[in-house]
Amino acid sequence: MARRDALTGYLFISPQLIGVLVFVLIPVGLAIYYSLNDWNIFTGELQFVGGDHYAALLEDPQLPSVLGATAIFSGGVVALNIALGLALAVMLNRRFRGVTLFRTLFFSPVVVSVVAWTLVWGFLLQDNGGINGFLAQFGVVGPNWLQEGPTAMAAVIVTQVVRSVGINMVLFLSALQGVPGELYEAARIDGARNSTMFTRITLPLISPTLLLTAIITIVGALQAFAQIAVLTQGGPGLSTTVLVYYVFQQAFDFNNIGYGSTLALMLLTFVMLLTVLQWQLRRKWVFYED
Amino acid sequence: MNTATKLVGLAALATTIAVAAAGCSASAGSGGPVATTAPPNSVDLRMTVWTSNEDQLALFDSIAEEYKSDHPEIKSITFESLPFADYNTTLTTQIAGGNSPDLAWMGDLSKDLIASDALVPLTDTLSETKGWDYDDLLGSVTAEFTADDQLYAYPFSNSPFALYVNESLLAEAGQTLDTDNLTWDQVSAVGSAANAATGKGGFVIRDFNYASWNTLATVWTGWGASAWNEDGTECTFDSDEMVKAFQFLHDAIYVDKSMPGPGTTADFFAGDSAFTIAQVSRASLLDGSFEYAVYPLPAGPEGTYSVIGQAGVGVLESSAHVQEATDFLAFLTNPENAAKLAQFFPPPRESLLTGEKLAEVNTKLTAEQLQTVVVDQISDAVTLPNHTSPAEIAQKAKTALDAMWTPDADVESVLSSVCTAIDPLLAK
Amino acid sequence: MTSGAAGTAGATGVRASPPPTGVTQRKVPRPGAAVVRRVILYVALIVLAAPFVVPTVWMIASSFKPLSEIFASPPTIFTDSPTWAAYAEAFTFQPFAQQYFNSVYIAVLVTLITMLVSSLAGYAFARIRFPGRNLLFLVVLIGLLVPGEVTIVPLFQMFKQVGLINTHWPLILVTALAAPCVLATFVMRQFFISLPGELEEAARLDGLGRVGIWWRIFLPLAKPALSAVAILTFLASWNLYLEPTVYLTSPELFTLPQALTRYTDAYGGEMWNTQLAAATMTVVPVLVVFLIAQKQFVEGLAHSGLKG
Repeated sequence: MARRDALTGYLFISPQLIGVLVFVLIPVGLAIYYSLNDWNIFTGELQFVGGDHYAALLEDPQLPSVLGATAIFSGGVVALNIALGLALAVMLNRRFRGVTLFRTLFFSPVVVSVVAWTLVWGFLLQDNGGINGFLAQFGVVGPNWLQEGPTAMAAVIVTQVVRSVGINMVLFLSALQGVPGELYEAARIDGARNSTMFTRITLPLISPTLLLTAIITIVGALQAFAQIAVLTQGGPGLSTTVLVYYVFQQAFDFNNIGYGSTLALMLLTFVMLLTVLQWQLRRKWVFYED
Repeated sequence: MNTATKLVGLAALATTIAVAAAGCSASAGSGGPVATTAPPNSVDLRMTVWTSNEDQLALFDSIAEEYKSDHPEIKSITFESLPFADYNTTLTTQIAGGNSPDLAWMGDLSKDLIASDALVPLTDTLSETKGWDYDDLLGSVTAEFTADDQLYAYPFSNSPFALYVNESLLAEAGQTLDTDNLTWDQVSAVGSAANAATGKGGFVIRDFNYASWNTLATVWTGWGASAWNEDGTECTFDSDEMVKAFQFLHDAIYVDKSMPGPGTTADFFAGDSAFTIAQVSRASLLDGSFEYAVYPLPAGPEGTYSVIGQAGVGVLESSAHVQEATDFLAFLTNPENAAKLAQFFPPPRESLLTGEKLAEVNTKLTAEQLQTVVVDQISDAVTLPNHTSPAEIAQKAKTALDAMWTPDADVESVLSSVCTAIDPLLAK
Repeated sequence: MTSGAAGTAGATGVRASPPPTGVTQRKVPRPGAAVVRRVILYVALIVLAAPFVVPTVWMIASSFKPLSEIFASPPTIFTDSPTWAAYAEAFTFQPFAQQYFNSVYIAVLVTLITMLVSSLAGYAFARIRFPGRNLLFLVVLIGLLVPGEVTIVPLFQMFKQVGLINTHWPLILVTALAAPCVLATFVMRQFFISLPGELEEAARLDGLGRVGIWWRIFLPLAKPALSAVAILTFLASWNLYLEPTVYLTSPELFTLPQALTRYTDAYGGEMWNTQLAAATMTVVPVLVVFLIAQKQFVEGLAHSGLKG
């Protein structure tokens, strides 16, 4: 019986397991193989170059800027996304007229396609676009958003966060409502202030949700391609060329498949390290009810 | 070289030898040098193009129909329209994916394709085709697609860049143009005045968008500058001529306000700017909502000059039907069909290059205009900068040039950083 | 990854109103202060909502503008001379209706496959004991962490080998079985693990096998988690951009995100108003579905057990 049951278990997981094997693990293996070769895409010739592409990582003059942009973008998106998601959840976790409407409004960009969303922001962020036109009504000369490094980076971070924060907001809302009310009651009797209750009760109790959203948001931020491709094409300079975009350029624009694969594997290493790190750190800051 | 490519290469070689041995056994009907051995109804040809213009595609289809009626072996000829914006990436992906077309339009991808032996040499076939008249081709337009005395793509489109003027806007701004002595300084001065008077843009280098810097060759050539030396091994962005040319552009943007800055969208054809530099073929975008005129490029400090943007059509070595595809190419580009194509694309054939001939099929511009802005320009025009690894050079130089587009940029040091960025690629 | 209580806590979900002793409730609210507080809250929410709402409104309004008005200064929201021309152009310029159909059918198919595959795997990982279960679960989770950019070049070569380039299969298979599906499997497992153990015993007494238990007992109970999975998967497929750009070259096979960026004239110049009209057409139907079903939408996500 138990053996038959185990067999059923394997059967049930097999489509998913085979999917991961064929569409994730084997490709990762192939990527390693490509990273050791030079590939002429027009003739199909493959030439073994050993660790040359890995050595090239160290000599690539653009890579430090790319890594910097990746760190700023991912860090910015994660921090803003979680802070704003939590703030919205706290504000909307109460009863007042129109609360459902506001929840809907903040969630709505989630269902708008990334490309359409980014195209529209691209319009609005033009030097003579809607945002600067709006500012001009108040006599303010807005910056040329997408043409200067810092504002371009801010623009891609904000468009990404505004589009996707709705999911985090909903997850936080549901976590907040799982916090037992008696805890606040008891704290209030002890004379605790709102801010103290938030840091001492709310945050620890929703920390499992924080961990999960942080992981999902980081992985999402490291994979943000369409936003960059449509809004800034990595510019000005390299200021918004994040690793994902750079990988695409190398592999598909420049046809440097070998080097592109090497960069992609570096990205994979980052994602793995970050996840393991968060996983290790969780013992320090994630509170478990049991 | 993989086996398939080798086989195709051998087949092509065999074809060439057969042609030589047979001493041009041209079949009179179609003009092809060799009769195909393919069984009837067995060959599907596909040609990638970047136009999606229905009239242009209809013309291609009609030429293909005519060819098919004489060639029973051809089952179908399709023209696959790929979006212009990612044309190179898409075409490369198709080739890499083993899904290569038989024939392809190409612009700046041609050097890479020629360097990787991915294109079929055409000179022998075309010059041996009866009535094709190879010597009719202008040398100035075939250079771009020629390597080792072999033509690898037929330059079907050679569209000179010209100065478009929105005369309604100039009248509104109270400006007039001395059209007999057009210079860049004059264009900038008038553009600056037009901007001050109307708030619209002065002059716009179309498609530049502060990214596609190769279109700026329409300006810097007037200063005697070029992106790199003749054989493409050394960057010349840091030359004195180039510094002066970029200083002119920088002043135009930030001092005279005669050129809209980065991030500002100003579409000449929507009436948003006084001037634009664009190819003559863009005249089709004029919708009659304002009075316009077209002139050759303004003179720079080094005098008058002309620049053309080119497109060629070639046969891919990886095609399964190299012989049939080459034969169709010869038909598509023979004098009779070249004349038909000329209504959309300024032709490479001297015999077709007269203002009257071009005016017969062009509704937007007069014979006189066509004579001055097309015919008189092509014979000694330079082309936009082109090199192997175009995408990587474009991106590296663009990244470096971005530093130019701020009010206090140091023109000279930005340009030398462009050379630092692209020299390793040129040296490859 | 989660505490045992997470799933059950998740099942309480988002309520329209907080528990009576929620964080905001004051013991003795002073009426004046409460009104001020409320006004501040409304103002803050309205200001915050602007970047979430204005772009969509502007997009829809601008799609009716003549080209010359889109970049008009000062900017307008609504035009005096609305035109449908851009909408007609969107369809004549490329096979937009076909592209629309492509996106819809791919997303629906991917969603259905994912719901099936993930609920099966999630059920097994949560409720069936078999050797290597935890290790295999970890292996599956790796699928969530490998960025698509790492696998896209090799996948392209693999699909090329089997002749599936320029078909929809890569978009369907990879999305339905790799990363988005792994997230779904994770969600389903977290949900199933929170259900009481007696369920199986009762079902067995009724003579149900594993398949029966999964289909008749667990799937009906898993509606909130399944709806969350459906929403996330549908959006993941609907938004795919890199993959179609790589795999598809024929316009009639394009999906919407890819099609949207192709509204350029024959020379690469942007056709702004046509692009906006097409974007509006891709956004509005989904937005309408969302507005009608927003309660189920948001609650499904909240109920999913995705809360850690």
